[in-house]
Amino acid sequence: MDDPTSGTDTDDESGSSLSTVSLTLEYPNGESPAVEGVSLTVDPGRLTALIGPNGSGKSTLLKGLSAQLEPAEGRTILDGRAVAAYDDTELARRLGILHQETEGMERLRVEELVAHGRYPYRRFLQRASEADIDAIERALSLTGIDRIRDRPLADLSGGQRRLAWLAMVLAQDTDILLLDEPTTFLDLRHQLAVMDVVRGLRDDAETTVVVVLHDIEQASRYADEIVVLSDGMVVSRGPPAEIITADLLAEVFGIEAIVETDSQGVRIRPVRPLSPPSDDTPP
Amino acid sequence: MISEDHSPIDRFAWITWELGIVVAGSSLVVLVAATLQLSFGAYPISPVAAWRTLLDPTVLLSGGAWNAFLFGGPVPAYETGTLVAWTIRLPRVLVGVLVGMNLAVSGAILQAVTRNELASPFVLGVSSGAGLAVLLTVVVFTGFLPYLPLFAAVGGGVAFLLVYGIAWQGGTSPVRLVLAGVIVSSVFGSVQTGLFLLLEDVGVIQSVVAWTTGSLVGADWAQVRMILPWTVVAVGAALLGSRQLNVLTLGERTASSLGMSVEHVRFGLSGVAVLAAAASVAAAGIVGFVGLVVPHIVRRLVGTDHKRLLIGCVFAGPALLTAADAGARLALNPAQIPVGIVTGLVGGPYFLYLMRKHRDFGGF
Repeated sequence: MDDPTSGTDTDDESGSSLSTVSLTLEYPNGESPAVEGVSLTVDPGRLTALIGPNGSGKSTLLKGLSAQLEPAEGRTILDGRAVAAYDDTELARRLGILHQETEGMERLRVEELVAHGRYPYRRFLQRASEADIDAIERALSLTGIDRIRDRPLADLSGGQRRLAWLAMVLAQDTDILLLDEPTTFLDLRHQLAVMDVVRGLRDDAETTVVVVLHDIEQASRYADEIVVLSDGMVVSRGPPAEIITADLLAEVFGIEAIVETDSQGVRIRPVRPLSPPSDDTPP
Repeated sequence: MISEDHSPIDRFAWITWELGIVVAGSSLVVLVAATLQLSFGAYPISPVAAWRTLLDPTVLLSGGAWNAFLFGGPVPAYETGTLVAWTIRLPRVLVGVLVGMNLAVSGAILQAVTRNELASPFVLGVSSGAGLAVLLTVVVFTGFLPYLPLFAAVGGGVAFLLVYGIAWQGGTSPVRLVLAGVIVSSVFGSVQTGLFLLLEDVGVIQSVVAWTTGSLVGADWAQVRMILPWTVVAVGAALLGSRQLNVLTLGERTASSLGMSVEHVRFGLSGVAVLAAAASVAAAGIVGFVGLVVPHIVRRLVGTDHKRLLIGCVFAGPALLTAADAGARLALNPAQIPVGIVTGLVGGPYFLYLMRKHRDFGGF
């Protein structure tokens, strides 16, 4: 295992610094910890992708980063303070999260949904301010859903709906963005649309982005840095081209594959699974 | 970036013409129902005379009269028609308005808090819990009668917590909440029925039965005095919490990542809903379906924004209840049936229609 804390530098000039110190996360009814002793510094102003097989703890780690799950051990630190010590509203202004399942609310109109992103900024009984309106308009135009702002969510495709929820998180105007599988179940066009928005935020607003991705090729194409998780632990991290190798795919994902590198990132051509997914005694 | 036809601020204005229609239509219904209520009865008054009486400055501007109505002082001497209109028929309409308002607002809050369109004070056991507490107070602890709404609120709150506790398995689902509500309601209902056996006076039994189906017969200024303060508190608190309700309906996790302390907000708003429902139960008994159907209809008309929804409910709730009560008074004239029977007869089929028409019914 290589040193997972090898972030670029500590006192950075841009973005916010988010890191974990030997973070262990457990679910109330789970037997073993879902994330175990992870120490990770997220590079400020860059796009970090968390990848790993099902059940490796990617989404759980994301919850740990956002104080959605109280750590069993260790802590998450945002700009020198433990996230648990932040006031709820204060944290919501720094750190935006797009959750994996965002269902329901069929009758809510797109712009109403996006406006909810301003919740942490509006005080009790206060009306929408100029800054609120600006942030909402910016989120709508960044995600390209201006045209459908008056439509109810029920009328939208899965991809448009995901963009609308993303816009709500963008309206929160945070310098850190955590996204839990934002492209899963979307068609290719919307996958690209979502990832381009995310990349644009990193480039233009120096937003620090941590994104859980299922698709390794996609991760290698968009991420500056890849963190590979397996069994709740970080097994590898670094730039995509260095990290994604045939050995890693064999070891962590249990597949034999041919890996090629091109301008778009890495290409993975899976050949066969190395062992049956339920690797008990062979017949 | 800014659209040409609207200024961006205007886009987020919450007053819409749909809401205007709901408010105006509901007010009209209340006025018509009130006119019917004021005119019909053992002492007939013509509609014109009824309104002339209501606008009579010798009552309207009399300190003594309002002291009698609002603080229970002695009623000044007036002619019979004026007394009938002001002290018998008008308070019944007012209690109907306040009860309808409370039930509709309570239902709207509970539906948001549980993220479940099937939720209502009736379904979630609040009504039956409050009902049992009221019955116990009336039959057993008669010394505590002045604190009736408070007792009702405690009973309703206990029942709500029970239902929520039974349904909770790391989260609740619409179906589990409804089932838990049925369980708790039926247990509380049995206890209520058991209490009837302790009653010996047939007249008392009859009024208690009328009360468990929800009735405005005999409602007077005492009920208005009892329910009015709680209504002001509950409706005011609900309106102040409308933005919290909006964010809460996005789901627990989204609400918390937007910086809301979900548990506190949910508990506080549930408390407001229980208070509103309990106050109405204390005044008029258990009127079913209003808390379920009114938020539903209003949501279809004005959308999911809770400021609009709650204001719509504040007007539409009274409209349904006063119209139903006018029906209850006139249907079998001169006999009067409890208003709860009419709301049940209207609300049940409406719900059936919704269930048939919308397959995904129940989720938010």
